[in-house]
Amino acid sequence: MSTKEFAPDRPITFAAEREMPPMAVSLGTTLANKTGSWRYLRPVYDEKKPPCNHACPAGNDIRGFIALILKGRLAEARELLCETNPFPAITGRVCHHPCELECNRREFDEPLSIRALERLAGDKGYKALRAPHKRHEERIAVVGSGPAGLSCAYFLARRGYHVTILESEREPGGMLRWGIPEYRLPKGVLDRELALLKGMGIELKVGVRVGQDVRLEELDADAIFLAVGATKGLELDLPGLEAEGVLHGLEFLKRVNFGERVELGERVAIIGGGNTAMDAARVALRLGAKPIVIYRRTRAEMPAIPEEVEAALEEGIEFLFLAAPIEVLTTDGQLKGARFTRMELGPPDETGRRRPIPIKGSEFEMELDNLILAVGERPDLSFLPEGVELKEGRVNDPVLVRALKAPIFAGGDAATEAGTVVDAIASGRRVAEAIDRHLRGLPEPAKGEEPVLVPFARINLDYFEPRPRVQGRTLAVPERVTNFREVELGLSLEEGQLEAERCFSCGVCNQCDNCITYCPDVAISRHDDEYEVDYDYCKGCGICAQECPRWVISLVEEEK
Amino acid sequence: MAAEVELKAGIPSGRKVITGNYAVSYGAALARAQVIAAYPITPQTQIVELLADFCAEGLLQAKFIKVESEHSAMAACIGASAVGARAFTATSAQGLALMHEMLHWAAGARLPVVLANVNRAMGPPWSIWTDQNDSLSQRDTGWIQYYCESNQEALDTVIQAYKVAERVSLPAMLVLDAFFLSHTSEPVEIPEQGLVDRYLPPYRPKYKLDLADPRAFGGITMPSEYFELRYKIQKAMEEALAVAEEADLEFKRLFGRGYGLVEPYRLEGAELALVTSGTVTSTARLVIDRLRAEGEKVGLLKARLFRPFPTSLVREHLLGILKIAVIDRNISFGHGGIFAQEIKSALYNHGQPPLFGFIAGLGGRDITPELIEEIIEYALSHDRPEEEIIWMGVKR
Ligand SMILES: Cc1cc2nc3c(=O)[nH]c(=O)nc-3n(C[C@H](O)[C@H](O)[C@H](O)COP(=O)(O)OP(=O)(O)OC[C@H]3O[C@@H](n4cnc5c(N)ncnc54)[C@H](O)[C@@H]3O)c2cc1C
Ligand code: SF4
Ligand code: SF4
Ligand code: SF4
Repeated sequence: MSTKEFAPDRPITFAAEREMPPMAVSLGTTLANKTGSWRYLRPVYDEKKPPCNHACPAGNDIRGFIALILKGRLAEARELLCETNPFPAITGRVCHHPCELECNRREFDEPLSIRALERLAGDKGYKALRAPHKRHEERIAVVGSGPAGLSCAYFLARRGYHVTILESEREPGGMLRWGIPEYRLPKGVLDRELALLKGMGIELKVGVRVGQDVRLEELDADAIFLAVGATKGLELDLPGLEAEGVLHGLEFLKRVNFGERVELGERVAIIGGGNTAMDAARVALRLGAKPIVIYRRTRAEMPAIPEEVEAALEEGIEFLFLAAPIEVLTTDGQLKGARFTRMELGPPDETGRRRPIPIKGSEFEMELDNLILAVGERPDLSFLPEGVELKEGRVNDPVLVRALKAPIFAGGDAATEAGTVVDAIASGRRVAEAIDRHLRGLPEPAKGEEPVLVPFARINLDYFEPRPRVQGRTLAVPERVTNFREVELGLSLEEGQLEAERCFSCGVCNQCDNCITYCPDVAISRHDDEYEVDYDYCKGCGICAQECPRWVISLVEEEK
Repeated sequence: MAAEVELKAGIPSGRKVITGNYAVSYGAALARAQVIAAYPITPQTQIVELLADFCAEGLLQAKFIKVESEHSAMAACIGASAVGARAFTATSAQGLALMHEMLHWAAGARLPVVLANVNRAMGPPWSIWTDQNDSLSQRDTGWIQYYCESNQEALDTVIQAYKVAERVSLPAMLVLDAFFLSHTSEPVEIPEQGLVDRYLPPYRPKYKLDLADPRAFGGITMPSEYFELRYKIQKAMEEALAVAEEADLEFKRLFGRGYGLVEPYRLEGAELALVTSGTVTSTARLVIDRLRAEGEKVGLLKARLFRPFPTSLVREHLLGILKIAVIDRNISFGHGGIFAQEIKSALYNHGQPPLFGFIAGLGGRDITPELIEEIIEYALSHDRPEEEIIWMGVKR
C-alpha cells in the first residue's frame, strides 16, 4: 500500500473487521498532520559564549581550538588561536590563565588544562606565516618589542600596514626575553615565535633607544605605538642600599637572561611577592644560593601567579611572610645583612589588599650575602615631555600632540595596570584596531550587546562523567634546581586529546546529534554540520533543548 | 558512527551443560534477537548477563539497551519491535508486575516481543523462590504463555515462541521455575545457527514505524473500531493454537525434538489424570512410573501452553478419565488454583469428571515425590474433593 493510495480526502470507514489492519494504525500518512500548529515554544539553534572564552583577555576561542585538538588538527588549532593571539606557545607556558578559573568544568570536577592545551597547539601546530599583502601606504612605528608591541605589529601587518619595531635592547621580546627565565620560557620557543613576525615582513630595529638614539619627534611614521613596558624597578627608601651585594630583581634577571655569570653568596634574601620576586628566588636557587623570600603581607596577598609560588615552595625555597627590611647593614660598603621588622595586616588599602603595619619592637637582624629588591616595576617614560601620563589607546595629551606629527597610541604595561603577558597581547590588538580605524577614518564600533555566557547550571550533567584533569608532567625537583631546563614538559597529543574530551563545549554545538535522536516528531535534520528544525512538525515540546548537553538550543515563545 | 563489531563465528553449537537461564540466553541469541533491553532481577539476571557478553564479544549482533526499570525495558522492546526489529527481554516477579502496563501495550499494538519470565514468588514478604503467581497474574494481557519443564525445552521454546508470535502478531512469554530450572545445570543440545535460521526467517512485519512512510500507531480509536480490534486479538489467539502446534511439529522435523502444546504421559487406560506444569512435571513422571509399576491406573498431562489455552486438546486427553487432580503452584486468592480453574472450565458442559484442585509448593517450597504420592492417594481415595481447595503441606 503506497502512501498516495491512502492519502485520504475523506474519512476512511470500515464496513467489516476483515478490512481493518490488525492494530490501530493510520492508513494515510501522518505527514498530513502538521503537529507544528500545536507549538507555543520554538526551539532555535542559538550558540552562546563559553565562559572560558569570555575570561581570556585575548578572547581566544578556547572551545574551538580544543575541539580541533580533539580531532588531532593541531595546525588548525594554532591557526585559530592566532586569530586572537599570535603567540600561543608563549601564553601556553606563562599565562596566568584566568580562563581556567571560569571554566565550567571547575564546578563539576576540575577545570580543563586550557593553558597546557594551548601550548600543545602552539608547539606542535607551528607553521610559518606568509607575508600579508601590504595594501596600505601608511607606516607605523612601534616602540618596544614586548608582547604588547609585537602583538600590535602582528595585527597591523595582517591588516596590510608597514610596521617597524624599535627596541632599545639588543634582542627583541621585552620581559619575555629578559624578565621571564629560561626554565619557564625557553629562548628557543621565543625565537621560534618571533621568527614568524619576520616572515610577515615586520621590520625590527634593535639597539635603538627612543629618546636617546632617536628622538620621538623624529620618527617618520603615520602613527606611533608606545609599548615600552614597565622596566624600571621600584626603589625602597632604605639606608645602605648602595652597598655592594644589593641587587635589583629585574636587573638581576636581565643579566642572567642575557647569559652573564652573576656571582651570588650563599644567603640571599629576595624582597617582594610578585613574579619578579619568584623568578629572582628560583634563579638564585639555580645559581647555587639558599634564597629566602621576604614579603610584607601573607601568601594570600602575593601578586605572583599561584603556580609560581607553588613551584618555588616545591623547589624548597624559604618564605618569610609579614616582614619588611628597614635597614641594610654594611661593613666597608659591603652588604653584611639587614634589619627587618615584623608586620601585621591592618585595614584594606586602595588596592583592596590589607595594608601591612610594622609591629613596634619586633625588629630582628639577618646575616646576608645578597639582597635582591623586587618590589615592583614602573614604566620609564623619561623620553616623553614632562608630566605626560600614558593611558591605553590614543594619547591626547596636549603637550605630546604639539610635539609630534603623528598620532600617538599607548598600551601594554606602560599604559595598563594588568601586568600580564596576555593582557599586553590583548592591548596590542586593541590598539592595532584603533590605529586602523584612525588611519581609515572609521568610527568607533558601536558597543555590542553583552554576550550570553553559559552558566554551569545549563550544562546537562547526565551526559558527563567526572574524570581527573590531565596535567602536564613536570621535571622532578632534583632534576631542575641545578640548571635552567624547562620545568613543565607539556602534553603529548594523546594526553591532549584525552584532556580535550573533557571539554563540555559550553554553548557551542559539537554535532553530537542528541537533538536529532530525541526529537519525538522526527522534526530535526542535519545537513553537514548544520541542523534544521522542520517547524511544520516541531510541536515545541522542548525535549531537544533539554537534551542538548551544552545549551545550544534556546526556546523562544511563539508570537501568535 | 559506532565502531563495527567484529562478527565472530557466531554461537557455537553442540552439547553443553548449562543452566536454564543460559539455555534461554542461547535461545535468544540463536533466534538472532536484534534488540535486548532488560533490567536485572534475581533469578533472571544471568539470562541478560550472558546475552550482554554475547553482544560484547560480537557473537550476537544486537543492540543491548540498559534501562532503569522493567517498565522501560518493555517500552524499549516495544519501540524496537515497532520498527521491525526482533526484541527480547527477561524478568521475574515484581519486574514483570512493573511491566504490566506495557504488556498490554505490546499485545494491543500486535508486537511479537518475546519475554522470558523466571517464575518467582511475589513479595511481600520477599522471596526469591519459585511460584507461578507472577506470570499467571498477566493472564489477560494478550500474551502467549508457555511453561517449560527442562533447560532444553527453555532454549527450544524461545525459538518456537518467536515463530508463533511473529506469525500471529502477538507477544509471547516463556516461563521457567526459579532455581529448579534457572540455576540448575543440565546437558543441553545447542542447535546449529544455520538450522535455526532455516526454522526462523527474519522478521518482516507488514506494518512498522518507517520514516519514509510515517504513520500513526495506537492512536485514539472510537468505539466503532475498538471493539473489532479486540475481536481480532482473540481471533489471533485462536489462530495461535494451530500455529503453535504446527511450529512444534516443524521444530521436531528439523531438530528431532518436540513438546506438544500439552503432553500426555502414560495416560492410556488411566483412571486418574494428574495435571502439572513446569518442573513439577519431571517429579510427577517419576511418581507415575512408580505407581504404574505397582499397578495403579494413573497418568499425567503436562500443561505447556497456557495462553492460548488448548481447550480441545485438554478435552481430548481428559474426557473419559474418571478423576482429575491438578497441582497448582499458584493461587488466585478468593478462588483457587488457576490451572484447576482453566481445566474445569474447559471440561464444563462435557461430562465434568470430578476435579481435585491442589495447591502446593508456593514460594519455592519443595514438591517432593512423596507429596505427589499423597496427592494421588487423596484423589484415589475420595469420590469427590471435600474442599474446593486442597492445601498440601500447610502447617496447621
Ligand atoms: C620577572 C617577570 C616575570 C613575569 N612573569 C609573568 C608570567 O609568568 N606571566 C605573565 O602573564 N606575565 C608575567 N610578567 C609580566 C609580563 O612579562 C609583562 O606584563 C609583559 O611583558 C608586558 O608587556 P609589554 O609589551 O607591555 O612590556 P615589556 O615586555 O616590558 O616590553 C617593553 C619593551 O620595550 C622596550 N623599551 C622600553 N623603553 C624603550 C625605549 N625608550 N625605546 C625602545 N624600546 C624601549 C624594553 O626594552 C622592552 O623590550 C612577568 C614580568 C616579569 C618582570
Ligand atoms: S591566553 Fe591565557 S587566558 Fe587566554 S586561553 Fe591562553 S591560557 Fe587562557
Ligand atoms: S568546559 Fe570547555 S567550553 Fe566550557 S568553560 Fe571549560 S574549556 Fe570552556
Ligand atoms: S544536542 Fe548536540 S547536535 Fe544538537 S544542538 Fe546540542 S550540541 Fe548540537
